[in-house]
Amino acid sequence: MADDDSAVEGAEPAWKRDFPYEAAAEEEVTRREFARYLVLGTGALAIGNIGLAAWTQLRRVAGGEPRAIVALADLPIGATHLFRYPTEADPAVMLRVSEDQFVAFSQKCTHLGCVVYHQPERDRWHCPCHKGDFDAISGAVLSGPPTRPLDQIVLEVRPDGFVWALGREVKA
Amino acid sequence: MRVSPRGRQSSSAVLIYLIVLMSLQLFLITVAAEAWLTDEAALAWSTAAVSVVLFGCAAAFLRYLRP
Repeated sequence: MADDDSAVEGAEPAWKRDFPYEAAAEEEVTRREFARYLVLGTGALAIGNIGLAAWTQLRRVAGGEPRAIVALADLPIGATHLFRYPTEADPAVMLRVSEDQFVAFSQKCTHLGCVVYHQPERDRWHCPCHKGDFDAISGAVLSGPPTRPLDQIVLEVRPDGFVWALGREVKA
Repeated sequence: MRVSPRGRQSSSAVLIYLIVLMSLQLFLITVAAEAWLTDEAALAWSTAAVSVVLFGCAAAFLRYLRP
């Protein structure tokens, strides 16, 4: 019918205009609306996933600028020094292995990001959260759930008497 | 408008598929968070790719739903 408003999709039917009332069921969400909310939700989560991936990528790219970390005289053999590198949000730890050998690693466990610490009696880095162990010198996984080594900080002892961090090396 | 039993069944099936896809998306966001915690960029990107594919599937399913 040409004069019937209900013939137009989405228009209010004539009977409803003449006898306006609202049933309780009209407030309910239809199947299609519910499905649309679900699709919008999956879209939002997909955007969140992309954002997290981009954030993760950008954090990995930040290799760090060369920076003096600690004076040789302040770090006895066998001692550790906590610092932050490459950014203030990245805890790292340095170990003086011998008179002229230093190693430094990101303090974040490669399993779920807990802080690792040095266990001199076992000569390894230990993560207390899930009992992950890493080799003290190489940072390689010795035991526990981590699947990749600790990220290493490249160091250099310079003539000015300081140990410098040159960059962060992410190992596969 | 009356809906045939077959039409009601198909729209229910689409809804169930969408709920399953939503659950998978929730799982994937936890995987992405774990990848972020451990600086696993490759895992984070592959998770994002799967998530986008799932979103595409969900949008495609919406087309099957009766208006």
